[in-house]
Amino acid sequence: MLTRTARLVAALLLMGGAALAGPEDVILEVTGDIADGTAKFDREALQALPQVTLETSTVVTDGTHSFTGFLMRDLLDRLGAEGEHVIATALNDYVVEIPMSDFSEFDVIVAYSMDGKPLRRNDKGPLWIVYPRDAHEALQDIRYDYRWVWQLSRLEVQ
Amino acid sequence: MIRFRNLAFGLLLPLVAVLVFAVLLTFSLIRMLEVENAMRVGAEKNMLWVFHQSEVAARRLTETAALVGLGEADTEELSLQFDILKSRVAILNDGPQRRFVEEIGYDDELDRIAAALEAMTPVVADFSPGEGARLRDALKPAAGFFGRAANKAMIAEWNDLGGRLETYRAQLRQIILFLIGIMAAGGILAATLIGALRQTHQRNLMLRQSRDFSALLISSSGEGILAVDRDGRCTLWNDAMAGLIGKSAEQATGRPLAELAGFFGIAPLQVGVARALEGESSELVQHPLFHQEATEPRYVDLRFFPMRNDGEVIGAILFLHDATDRHAAQKREAQDRDRLEELVAERTRDLDDALQRERSAADLYRNFAAMVSHQFRTPLAVADSALQRLIRRGPRAEPDEVVERANRARNAIAGLTRLVESTLDVARLDAGQLGARRVRCALADIVRTVCTRQRDADPARTIRILEPPEDSDAVFCDPAHAEQMLENLLSNAFKYAPAGSPVSICVHGDRQNLFCDVHNKGDPIPEEERDLIFNRNYRGANSTGSAGTGLGLFMARTLARMQGGDLTLQPTGDGVTFRMILPRFDPSST
Repeated sequence: MLTRTARLVAALLLMGGAALAGPEDVILEVTGDIADGTAKFDREALQALPQVTLETSTVVTDGTHSFTGFLMRDLLDRLGAEGEHVIATALNDYVVEIPMSDFSEFDVIVAYSMDGKPLRRNDKGPLWIVYPRDAHEALQDIRYDYRWVWQLSRLEVQ
Repeated sequence: MIRFRNLAFGLLLPLVAVLVFAVLLTFSLIRMLEVENAMRVGAEKNMLWVFHQSEVAARRLTETAALVGLGEADTEELSLQFDILKSRVAILNDGPQRRFVEEIGYDDELDRIAAALEAMTPVVADFSPGEGARLRDALKPAAGFFGRAANKAMIAEWNDLGGRLETYRAQLRQIILFLIGIMAAGGILAATLIGALRQTHQRNLMLRQSRDFSALLISSSGEGILAVDRDGRCTLWNDAMAGLIGKSAEQATGRPLAELAGFFGIAPLQVGVARALEGESSELVQHPLFHQEATEPRYVDLRFFPMRNDGEVIGAILFLHDATDRHAAQKREAQDRDRLEELVAERTRDLDDALQRERSAADLYRNFAAMVSHQFRTPLAVADSALQRLIRRGPRAEPDEVVERANRARNAIAGLTRLVESTLDVARLDAGQLGARRVRCALADIVRTVCTRQRDADPARTIRILEPPEDSDAVFCDPAHAEQMLENLLSNAFKYAPAGSPVSICVHGDRQNLFCDVHNKGDPIPEEERDLIFNRNYRGANSTGSAGTGLGLFMARTLARMQGGDLTLQPTGDGVTFRMILPRFDPSST
């Protein structure tokens, strides 16, 4: 368990990275019950997080695809998020409430590229919450399918 | 019929129920798996939502373009909305969504919208408020298209959903029917089970009752009953057995039979038990059973039977029936029978004797009659002719002639008298009236007396007497009987000897008896007649033509035996020798 000091340091480091980005480069904003109010990230800052690759099929595409990104729990741990839920919001104001337990039970990632190509805003980018659907039968369920938020722009920890 | 029905209900019905149960269960499972699979496989498409989102994005873009024109929104916002719409179109062109669009026949229109958006991309990238109207025109068909597409998607999805629900319902109805069938089969099985349980309970009850009854029978039986297992150990021992052997059931149970009493160790019992254990019944009748202290044995009937279970011999059962009383009764009965038989034999003997006497008397009279007709006629004729001559001669008869003829007549009459006497003697003998008055007498005197009498009667007869060289000739007999016997023998000897040949008498003896052998030179008596000649009324083959009653030798032997002696025919090759045997006089015996 991370101590409070370590969390603060991590948060400061991240925010230091975020602070360098201009306001138009911010692609993710985390608010709510985290160490320090609001955290904003540009693509670079997010790519600095431990990189994870996941092979899975999706309900909106054919075949399996390779997704690269970071684990949602890595991000939330670094931000010292403490809550039951995360409310994810997409650019088109699609809102969904995801229980925090999903991220500990499954290796849920926030992907920034698919099949080696960065996800773009006019496709399903810049960020896409991807569940390891093929690895767990429990995830092959429409109640999980709606948590795959693409064009993710905001997270609120509650 | 009842049996068959029982079988049908007892076995067939549950079997069918189990079969139906299994088949229906299998079908239900297959159906349910199908339903489960159908519900899981294939991601749920939500095209209505996709089209709605697309429509919203299109309208927002149009709105944002207008706001930019009014200066209330910036180009960044427009770019974002444009990208969002583009991403929507991109989603619609992705595999599953594209296929749906093709299904509802809106693919051409979608392609046109995608192309229009593509054409607008540079416009949006470098947007100037004057181009707002152009952008709105380009986007105009998009919102309407998405609205119509949403409408169509809704109908298609609902149709699809309705169809699927109908399929599920049909499958569920089938499953419900199967379940009803399963319940019915289960009900039948449960009913059969309950029936079987009840029957088992009832049978157990009956079994227990019959076991109790058997136990009661065994314990109250007067017969000793014991059972052994395959190893020969006692498993059952009733009270009567305890009474017979003297060991209680507690002492006996679980122990080998031979240890319980010596009685069970003897060979016939062990053989009986062994045979019963091999499945063969047997029994021993009135076997002696020695009780420890009693000297007199009890007698028991033993019956050995195998005990079987499902055809396999699991032990033997032995019944001991106390037959002592019966044994004693049989023994008494046998004794009574022996005594009775003895009595009957005695009576029979007496009766036979009486019958014999009766027959003798009858024979006597019959023979007497025959004899009278045959033997009496000759002497009567002789006497008659002598007397007729005398009458005819009358005064002319010489005195010598008269005497001679009178004597002849007299001799004939004397012969008749003798015949009558001997016949009467036998009659007296038969009647048991002829008692012997035995006294001491000299055999030589008797021989001399008889010889003299014989010579007087017929001087032509030659009798040679060979005197005994012994000191004592004393015999113990009735002298009259002795004379009669000797006379019989002598007259027989003369009768059967060649005319003029002598008859010799030889007296000799041993320690016990004196013998008087009367010998003549007649033809030897044939072998087959030697025993018969002593029989009453038997007349030998050579006796034809001579006078006789057939009683002489019978009478003589009977008289000899009355004296304690005998009369025998000596086996001699030369002539015929009869031996009269008389006991010597013994002073101590009188």
